[in-house]
Amino acid sequence: MDRPLRRLFLFFALLFVALLVQLTYIQVWAAPKLKTNSANTRAIEAEMKVDRGTIVSSDGVELAVNHVDGPYFLREYPQGSLTSPWLGYNSLRYGRAGVERVYNEELSGQTGLLGITSYWDELLGRVHKGAALKLTIDMKVQRAAAEALGDRKGAVVALDPRTGAVLAMVSYPRYDPNEIDTLWKELNADPDTPLLNRAAQGLYPPGSVFKIVVAGAALQIGALTTKTEFDDTGSVTAGGFVVNNYGDRVFGPHDFTEAFAKSINTTFAKIGVALGADNLASYAGGFGFNEDIPWPLSQAPSFFPEGGGLDKAHVAQASYGQGEVLATPLQIALAASAVANGGQIMKPYLVAQVLDQNAKVLRETKAEKWLKPISSETALTLRALMVEVVKNGTGTSAALSGVQVAGKTGTAEVAEKEPHAWFAGFAPADDPQVVVAVLVENAGTGGGVAAPIARAVIAAALGL
Amino acid sequence: MSLRNRELVFLIPALILTTLGFALVYTQKASSLTWTSLTYGALFLVLFVIAHLGRRVLAPKADPYLLPVTALLSTLGLVVLYRLNEDLALKQAMWLVVGLVAFLLVLAFVRDLEVLRRYRYVIGIAGLLLLLVTAVIGREINGARLWVDLGPINFQPAEFGKILLVIFFAAYLVDIREALTVSTRRVLGVPLPPFRYLAPLLTIWALSMALMIFMKDLGTSLLFFGALLALLYVATGRFFYVLVGLVLFFAGATLLYFVFPHVQTRVDIWLDPWQDASGRGYQIVQSLFALAAGGLFGRGLGEGYLTLQSGNTIIPNLETDFIFSAIGEELGLVGAVGIILLYLIFTYRGFRVAVRARDDFSRLLATGLISIFALQAFLIMGGVIKLIPLTGITLPFVSYGGSSIVANFVLLALFLRMSDRAA
Repeated sequence: MDRPLRRLFLFFALLFVALLVQLTYIQVWAAPKLKTNSANTRAIEAEMKVDRGTIVSSDGVELAVNHVDGPYFLREYPQGSLTSPWLGYNSLRYGRAGVERVYNEELSGQTGLLGITSYWDELLGRVHKGAALKLTIDMKVQRAAAEALGDRKGAVVALDPRTGAVLAMVSYPRYDPNEIDTLWKELNADPDTPLLNRAAQGLYPPGSVFKIVVAGAALQIGALTTKTEFDDTGSVTAGGFVVNNYGDRVFGPHDFTEAFAKSINTTFAKIGVALGADNLASYAGGFGFNEDIPWPLSQAPSFFPEGGGLDKAHVAQASYGQGEVLATPLQIALAASAVANGGQIMKPYLVAQVLDQNAKVLRETKAEKWLKPISSETALTLRALMVEVVKNGTGTSAALSGVQVAGKTGTAEVAEKEPHAWFAGFAPADDPQVVVAVLVENAGTGGGVAAPIARAVIAAALGL
Repeated sequence: MSLRNRELVFLIPALILTTLGFALVYTQKASSLTWTSLTYGALFLVLFVIAHLGRRVLAPKADPYLLPVTALLSTLGLVVLYRLNEDLALKQAMWLVVGLVAFLLVLAFVRDLEVLRRYRYVIGIAGLLLLLVTAVIGREINGARLWVDLGPINFQPAEFGKILLVIFFAAYLVDIREALTVSTRRVLGVPLPPFRYLAPLLTIWALSMALMIFMKDLGTSLLFFGALLALLYVATGRFFYVLVGLVLFFAGATLLYFVFPHVQTRVDIWLDPWQDASGRGYQIVQSLFALAAGGLFGRGLGEGYLTLQSGNTIIPNLETDFIFSAIGEELGLVGAVGIILLYLIFTYRGFRVAVRARDDFSRLLATGLISIFALQAFLIMGGVIKLIPLTGITLPFVSYGGSSIVANFVLLALFLRMSDRAA
C-alpha cells in the first residue's frame, strides 16, 4: 500500500514542480515582454509615481513642475505654449518630445548621476525623485522674442556666441503642452504644423542672410577686400539666368562694403560665380550647412548643394541665398555667431545644469567649440560690414540707442507669396554677447519686418 | 529536540515573518512605525501559542511541522490582505480565531477516528446536502453558485461538504476494498467489480458532473473527482481505476465544453487570454502582468500596483482566488516559490501521516484529505499563472474567506489527530 502512496505523492510533487517552472517562466523569462505588452498600463502607472525633476530657466522661472494627485505626480507647464518648441511634453499616452524626451533619463531619475541615493529610495520604497534641469533659456528674452514675433508664423533664436548657450528659441504657431493629450490629433492634422520647432527644424531659403557665408568665403580666400569696387547696372546674366536686385533697384558704382550693406544681389552673383560652386559649398559646409547641428534636440540640417553639382545660373542664385539653398533659423544664428565670436562657432546647448533634489549640481554643460569657418581677422572685417548694414544699410530698424548692433537682413523670395523676412545679427558689435536670428514666413522684407523683432530681442538680452 | 518543542521552535520564524510583514505594510501606509503594527504580530504569537499548547495537551505526539506551516501560510495571507484591504484583514483575523477554536474543538472531541467511520453514512449524506444546498438556496457570485446567505455571513458550504464527503469516501472504500480488488466479472476482458459496489463511485462521478453543470463550480468538481481517484488508486493499488476515472472525467468535461458556454469560455481564455485582454481575458492577463512586474524579488510589500485610487483591486477577486498573484507581484518569484514550497511541505507531511497510519481508514482518510488539499492549492495557483484553466477556488489558509479558513483548520486538526494516533 506504500507504493501507490509514494507514487501519488510523487504525482503531486510533479504538479508543484510544474508550478515552479511556469512561475519562473512568467516572472523571469516572459516578464520583459509582458511588461511592454500594449495592454499593460503598469509602466504608465510606475512612471506617474516618479517625482519627475523640475525644469527651470536660467533666470529661475519654473518651466515644468509636478502637481501631486494621491500617489501620482502629474506634469504641468506653468509657461504654457511659450516654452513648447524646445521643452516638449511628457505625455503618458503619446510619449515625450523636446527636453522632456532627450533628458528623460535624468528627469525620471534613471541616470547613474543620482548615484546610490536613487537605488536606496527604491529599496526603501520611497518616492523616486528625478534630477532637476536648469536651462540656458532666459525667460525675459524668450518672452520678449515671443511678443515681438506675435502671431506671425516664424521663429526667433537668441544665443550667446561666446558659449553657444541658447537664450531664447521661439516658434509660432506652437501648442500648449498641458493640453497635449486632448489636442494631439488636432495638432498632428494642423497644416500649420504647430508641433514643428521652426527654429531648429524649419527649412527656408535664407535669402540675403546667406551673404554672411558668401562674404566670409570671399574675404577668407582673399578674392576681395571691403574696398573692392563693383558696378551695378541693375542686372547681371549668369549661365543664361538674369539676376536682378530686390525691388529692381540700380546701385551704380559701389565698393564691397556697400554691396553688403545694401544687399546688392548682382554683385554677390558675380562674386559667387567667381568663387565657384566648390568654394561656396566648402564654406557653406564650414559654417554648418549639410551637417547635423550638435545639439540634443531635434533639428534639420541646413542644405547647400554639394560642390560641382551646380551650374552657373544656380551658383549665382545661391550666392544671395536663393535657389536650392535651405537653412534653419538656428543655422543662420550659428553662422552669425562665427562672425561675433572671432570665427569660432560654439556648440549650441540648452541645458546648463543637471541638479539633484538638494540643488547640488551633478553635471554642468561646458562650452564646446564646433566649427571655425573663418579666421578672427576675417570675422572682424565681416563684423564691420554687418555694423554698416545696421548703420546705413538695409537693417537700420535693428539699431538701438546706446549700443552698436551688427546684422544682416534677408528677403527670401518664394513663388506666388510674400517673401520670408530674415534678420541675423548681434550686439554689442565690439563685444558681442547675444546673437539673434529672426525668420518670419511670407511677411515682407527682412529690414522692415524681421529687423525690429531682432532689435526687441537684443534689447531684452542686454537688459536695455 | 522533542517533537513538541520542535513545533514551538518552527513557529518562531512564522511569527517573526508575520510581525515583520505587518510592520512593513504599516509603515508603508502610515509612513511611520508604531506599536499598533507590532500588536498584530503579538496577537498571532498568542493565538498560535495557544493552538500549540492545545495541541500539546490534546494530541501530544502529532506531526510538528503542520501547525507552523499553517501558521506561516495563514498569517502571510493576513499580511497581504491587510495590505489590500484593512477591513477584510480584520474579518479574516476573526475567522482565523474561529478557525483555531474549531481546530481545538475537533482535537478535543474527535479523540478517536472510529467515530467518523461509524457515522460514515450520516457524514456522507450531510456532505452531499452541504454541496447541494447551494443549488437550491444559494446565491450566485462570479458566475458560480457557491454561497449561502446567512444574514451577515456568506457561508460557502462546499468547503465543509468536501471534507465530509472525503471522510465518507474513505470509510466506504474500506468497506468495499476487497470487492474492488477481487473482481468477479470481466467485461470486454476488463475486470469489473460487482455493480452494487461500482454504483456509488459512478454516483460520485455523476455528482461532480452535476456540480459543474448546476453550480458551475469547476473547481470543487475537479477536487472531488481527483480525491476520489487518488483514494481508489491507494485503496486498490490499481492504476486501472485511475485510468477509467480519467477517461470518464475527460469524456464528461469534453461534453460539457461543447454544451456549456461557461466551461468553453474558461478553456478558451486559458488557451489565449490575449484575444480579449480587456474583456473576458482581463483577469488572467492582469494576473500575468502583476507576476511579471514582481519579477525575481518582487516590488516589496505595499509597493505593487494592486489597488486603484478607489480601493478596488485591479485584478477582480484579488483577495480570494487571485491572492497568489498579489504575492507574486509584491514578494516576487522568491516569495511565490516559498508559498509553493510550504504547500509541498504540508503535502509531504500529509502523505507521511498516510504512510504511517495504523489502520486502513486513517490511511485512506489522510490520503483523501491531503489530495484535496494539494489539488486545491495546485488548481488555483496553476490557474492564476495560466498553467491550467482557471477554476475559482480559494488558496488554502491564504485566500480571504471564513468558510475556507475554518474548513482548512478542521482539516489540519484531523491530520494532527491521525498523526498522533500513528506515532
